[in-house]
Amino acid sequence: MNEHVTNTILVVLIGVFALAGALVSGASIAYAHEMSIVLTLIAVALGYRIYLHGIRSLLHGGITAQLFATIAIFISVIAGLVLPQASATGTAEAVGYLTASAIVAFIIQAGMTIEGYIIHRTRGALEKLIKMSPTTAKVRRDGKEIEVPIDDVRVGDTVLIKPGDKIPVDGLVLSGYSTVNQATITGESIPAEKKAGDHTFAGTLNENGALELKVEKIGEDTTLAHLIQLVEEAQEKKAPIQNIADRFTTYFLPIMAVVSTSVFLASYFTLGFEIALARTVTVLLVACPCALSIAVPVAVAGTIGNASMNAIIIKGGTHIEKLKDVNFVAFDKTGTLTAGKPKVVAVKTFGKNSEADVVKYAAIAEKFSEHPLSKAVLAKAAEMRLEVADPKDFRTIPGQGIDAHYGTKHILIGRRMFDGPISKEADALSEQVESEGKTAIPVILDKELIGVVVVADTVRENSVEAIGRLRSIGVKTAMITGDNMQTAKFIAGQLGVDEYYAELLPEQKVDVVKKLRNGNVVAMVGDGVNDAPALANSDVGFAMGAAGSDVAVETADVALLGDDLTKVEYAISLSRKAFSKMKGNIVYAFIWNIIALSLAAFGILNPVLAVILAEAGCISVVVNSALLLLNKPKAFLKAP
Amino acid sequence: MNEKKVEEMTKQKGTLNTYKLDCTGCKACAADYQADNLKHAIARLNGVSSIKVDEVTGKVVVEFDDAKIILSKITQRMEKLGYHVEVAKTEEVK
Repeated sequence: MNEHVTNTILVVLIGVFALAGALVSGASIAYAHEMSIVLTLIAVALGYRIYLHGIRSLLHGGITAQLFATIAIFISVIAGLVLPQASATGTAEAVGYLTASAIVAFIIQAGMTIEGYIIHRTRGALEKLIKMSPTTAKVRRDGKEIEVPIDDVRVGDTVLIKPGDKIPVDGLVLSGYSTVNQATITGESIPAEKKAGDHTFAGTLNENGALELKVEKIGEDTTLAHLIQLVEEAQEKKAPIQNIADRFTTYFLPIMAVVSTSVFLASYFTLGFEIALARTVTVLLVACPCALSIAVPVAVAGTIGNASMNAIIIKGGTHIEKLKDVNFVAFDKTGTLTAGKPKVVAVKTFGKNSEADVVKYAAIAEKFSEHPLSKAVLAKAAEMRLEVADPKDFRTIPGQGIDAHYGTKHILIGRRMFDGPISKEADALSEQVESEGKTAIPVILDKELIGVVVVADTVRENSVEAIGRLRSIGVKTAMITGDNMQTAKFIAGQLGVDEYYAELLPEQKVDVVKKLRNGNVVAMVGDGVNDAPALANSDVGFAMGAAGSDVAVETADVALLGDDLTKVEYAISLSRKAFSKMKGNIVYAFIWNIIALSLAAFGILNPVLAVILAEAGCISVVVNSALLLLNKPKAFLKAP
Repeated sequence: MNEKKVEEMTKQKGTLNTYKLDCTGCKACAADYQADNLKHAIARLNGVSSIKVDEVTGKVVVEFDDAKIILSKITQRMEKLGYHVEVAKTEEVK
């Protein structure tokens, strides 16, 4: 049976028997007193899980809170059964002690159940991820479509995905067209287009088209399964602050053993046996180190779980502590802050030529060129739905341009292909765009300049937002690039980064990171593959767009599964919040214990109040930590 | 819970002794918490039919179908989760 259900049933049973015992003792029926004792004893006995845990851990060489509770309850029961003969108050006292022990068992069992349940819930994020994966798949075998359990799907099978289906495997699209919502993996809410040759992830949601997939990865090999495993492992990795709590808990219980013995002896010689007994029992029950030992692990699990729901994988408690101190974030430029693919950003026309003419002739000349700039021009032509004919012949002159013929027309692409000044306006334009780090491509048709195509790598949509958010939480930013100074300066200005470093070789990027670390805690953000050395040399290495790249996910301290750079700020803010909770919880638990203990030692608490206090302290700490799971990213900043 | 076809499968039972590498020796509620995490992570593996974790002694009893998973893969996963694992015994379940 489910652990939580068993625990809950026990709580209810203990409560019912304890209550029955109390009610019967006051009833005017035969053997009321004896029946009451039996019922109460049954209630106490139903707390067996506490005693078993306590006794077994003692046999195993450990002292636990459950052991203390066991001793306290045992003493109370014996006192309840034995004391009345000697006591002046008689039977009432007997039921008093017994009832108290039943109530104590009830509260501890209830506390254990509630804590267990909350802790279980901190895994909620993970359970959600796991449920993303369908348990069956529609497979085509021997020309027939059959639905089979996911365990029976093999790599190489053909899987059919209907509109609205969850995709069960990592696969290669063989045919069909659809859009797929990949938010579970990449955090990207805009659906991705899928056509033949594209890859899909298990656990993502197919929207309105049908797809036929060749199975590439199944079960535990899928990207989703890897991510789940990473999160599981990360949640097990302790935060260093835990060591403080652990050191304290290691001494806590032995010290409590000494304290309770001292309290007993001191009270025995001054106030007599019965009061000494009551106080000792109270001290034993108030000693609850749970709040200390559990506060940090639950906070770590809550933080990592929350991050994973936001497509961020933080690889352990250590990184949470590092992240909270980050005051400088260095970004790689190409492919991180920028899209990394040149795009046509402007088309300037001359004479009577239209934009379409300029792009069309440029595209014809560049149709068979593999140059990234040519690809940008062709992409623009496709976007404008222009028909691009084949050139009759073409010749690429490296570093200069293209010379091509189309029909009777002669096309030249590139400034250097043309002798002498083309036009003053064109030269001025070229100079200006180049100062912005862009590339101007003049298009010359039959010796006449018809236009200039301007190509540039574009800043990602949310890069400016990402930088702005970091500034708003007091974090400085830098851009690091191998690109030339001019381009770097222009893009840095566009983004509003505090510093930029250009014309760097990969190993020089490492030097810059090291220099920045002088007096700063530096996070480095890159793609996790090309800039792996810089990432490794930073305090916290972020890999972005990491979904699907095992290398990036493995090497980074924090993996951003999608391309959303605003997640950098979220990861830092979340860690700051998490750490202050961890610290707060430890301090709170410490003070709570000291106060409760003092009250118990001086007889201000009775056993029932003591155990309520102890459990309340513990549960509030666990709840406080678990609440991290519900943290949400801030709304977007307003445009400046 | 997770009933699978039983034909042509040999069920194996492995008893493992584990302890958490980074545990400083505190044996309070944190142990229950870790046991719960371990249980979930292993139970999810394809081919594992049941797992019992004793949070006090660190003894783990895992039942699995050896046509689908081998014991070393299970222990590997535990090690990745930060446990030191020793195989105490393995037996076939009728």
